[in-house]
Amino acid sequence: MAEPRFKKAMETKYAKEWGTNKCGSTAKSKITDKKTKYLRLGYTQNPRKVEMTKCGAAITKKRGLQAYDPKLHLAGIPMGQRQLTPYTISGTDIVCDGDDLHFVNNAAMQQEWDDIRRTCIVGLDLAHETLEKRLGKEVTPETINYYLEVLNHAMPGAAIVQEHMVETHPALVDDCYVKVFTGDETLQDEIDKQFVINIDNEFPAEQAKQIKAGIGKTSWQAVHIPTIVTRTEDGPGTSRWMAMQVGMTFISAYHMCAGEAAVGELAFTAKHAGLVEMSDMIPARRARGPNEPGGLSFGHMADIVQTSRKTPDDPVNVALQTASAASMLYDQIWLGGYMSGGVGFTMYATPAYTNDILDDYVYWGADYAQKKYGKFGSAKATIETVKDIGTEVTLYGIEAYEKYPTTLEDHFGGSQRATVLAIAAGASTAMATGHSNAGLSAWYLSMYLHKEAWGRLGFYGYDLQDQCGATNVFSLGSDEGAIGEVRGANYPNYAMNVGHQGGYTTVVSAAHAGKKDAFCVNPLVKSCFADDLVNFDFADPRGAFGKAALREWDRCAGERAFVIPAK
Amino acid sequence: MAYKPQYYPGNTSVAKNRRKHMSDDLEKLRDIADEDLTAILGHRAPGSDYPSTHPPLSEMGEPDDPIREIVEPTPGAAAGDRVRYVQYADSMYNAPATPYFRSYHAAINFRGVDPGTLSGRQVNEMRERDLEEYTKRQSETEITDWGLAGMRGCTVHGHSLRLQEDGVMFDMLDRRRLEGGNIVMDKDQVGVPIDRKVNLGKPISEAEAAKRTSIYRVDNISFRSDKEVVEHVQRVWELRTRYGFQPKA
Repeated sequence: MAEPRFKKAMETKYAKEWGTNKCGSTAKSKITDKKTKYLRLGYTQNPRKVEMTKCGAAITKKRGLQAYDPKLHLAGIPMGQRQLTPYTISGTDIVCDGDDLHFVNNAAMQQEWDDIRRTCIVGLDLAHETLEKRLGKEVTPETINYYLEVLNHAMPGAAIVQEHMVETHPALVDDCYVKVFTGDETLQDEIDKQFVINIDNEFPAEQAKQIKAGIGKTSWQAVHIPTIVTRTEDGPGTSRWMAMQVGMTFISAYHMCAGEAAVGELAFTAKHAGLVEMSDMIPARRARGPNEPGGLSFGHMADIVQTSRKTPDDPVNVALQTASAASMLYDQIWLGGYMSGGVGFTMYATPAYTNDILDDYVYWGADYAQKKYGKFGSAKATIETVKDIGTEVTLYGIEAYEKYPTTLEDHFGGSQRATVLAIAAGASTAMATGHSNAGLSAWYLSMYLHKEAWGRLGFYGYDLQDQCGATNVFSLGSDEGAIGEVRGANYPNYAMNVGHQGGYTTVVSAAHAGKKDAFCVNPLVKSCFADDLVNFDFADPRGAFGKAALREWDRCAGERAFVIPAK
Repeated sequence: MAYKPQYYPGNTSVAKNRRKHMSDDLEKLRDIADEDLTAILGHRAPGSDYPSTHPPLSEMGEPDDPIREIVEPTPGAAAGDRVRYVQYADSMYNAPATPYFRSYHAAINFRGVDPGTLSGRQVNEMRERDLEEYTKRQSETEITDWGLAGMRGCTVHGHSLRLQEDGVMFDMLDRRRLEGGNIVMDKDQVGVPIDRKVNLGKPISEAEAAKRTSIYRVDNISFRSDKEVVEHVQRVWELRTRYGFQPKA
């Protein structure tokens, strides 16, 4: 076995001092050791826990009511009976504490979700037809530029047609804006550059060609309402906020009557006919409207991540960055927050973006597939291909966990290992075949092999979807047999199980990354986020998580500090 | 020819051990007193009566029902015992048992059992006196090595962690430890101190663990080397996949 990609991260975690955990001295181990010394040093070995303890004590004193105190853990047995060790953000040299990866403690993670929830796409063409055909108004690049100028004043919450209106303060909503994108090169050139997401500039030439072919001559607005609004409201509020400001802007920019019937048509276009939301409404029993994570398809999530246009020649990196952004959102925020509540779900997502173990397995699997089947996307999507790649990659990963006990200890739960192995098997197969369902098929084979090798898999939920999943991969049932791109967090059997949805997104991403596709399922979504002005760095989610863990990430929005007393 | 159950494929020692676990063909390795097991289970004080949730079935005047006539209640159900649990954690470093094979052992060989299978632990819920009988079987036989396994109701973790220097699986709550060559336990399965030190016997050696284990490992019997099991898994996967693809459905 060549030197694994996780070697440095494992040595940082288990063979070097972090805080006062004595990993570099008293409990020093090689990363291949099967035994170690457990020092039971408690929480004081870790600087972040000490900081949190002091803060908790101060809060308790200030408010006269019990707050955080780690000595209350397990009736006085605090965490830290084994060594509290750090995490390396995969693909980087950033090392941080696990606590700094809880989404509450990580501003970038919050902003990732804020930026998706506050975004919608709305077509311009239907509105222009209404203006031209019904009202006889002239629509030209000049009028569009003026409209966009007004709209970027109005969208954050400013008035445009009426006296006596209160307005939002620009300092609180400076993250809000609207840009346009189109496959029409002439129109693209005629719109003021400040308003344009220029597809030719943002994508490699071949990808730009695919995007423009997908969009055609249509033109679209990428709308990001203020973070502070979406944090106060909810996902469905995004299109409402957008549509009100779009409607008022049409009235102002095109000098319409505020009450004329055509305004209703413009409103209908913005709210329904021309609207693309990031996610769909899900059934009432889960009680979430559009633009909430439960309705976010894996294809849309994979398209929101932008690594594919930045490192198209490194498809594994594309898949891994997608794994990171998607696992964080689906596991930590959707299932861990919205659906379950609590603390533990962070640990389901961290293997996707820490300590380079997943990276090692996926790079190995991609290499295996490429050597055996040639160019990515060229292998036939057959039972034999899936069986071969799925088996070999899973066995490689299982044996790596066995040869490096520290990796087994880092991925201390079977659910973590199951997802990591299945991602590796699924993504490698998807890259080889260019077929997301072939990747999903390898995912389930990986789960079966894993369970039989070790007599264990994940928690109870893995028995549900991972034992029955193979049967629905190629089912002809209209919903359960859907292609991976249009499956999502609310897909049958996927809806309640943590540790999977980010992985499935990775498989979908890999199917296209291998072929250097410009997008997975929706060129509009891909284009909408191809914009550096979006706060979260969707081209490098891991880097953003890492910087935020170090408290160095400064692109967060939605803060109230401007209107509250300074401390 | 008498029927001989064939529970599991494979020709390696790991596959054979899996078959032994499933068929309850287990070697007894130690004696543990009933009262000691009751103490570490922690559900009732040793020697006390079984708490009940309903009167004995014979006193309940149940309606006529052919199923009731066919299925004889377990002793615990007949007496109206509570449903209680026992949960084990098994190390991935060659502990004899794995969670699924503990579940299979319970479900195949005992009645009235509700097994739950996770990666780091395996829980069985049963009527209390039935549970004690089952626990005795698991605790005294080769399916459990108390150095590489633990009875843990909560704070179970240890299965995937490196072993302690003395070869014992880590336990955050330090419920049991190696003392004088034997594993002793002085807390119940949820970590509440008990009034005794229960001797759980001598842990097996590393070499013995490698022979008795039901987990495949690359440094012992690798999963890849048991071709029959790998091919069996692939076949199950392929059949389930093809079954799902039914244009006629």
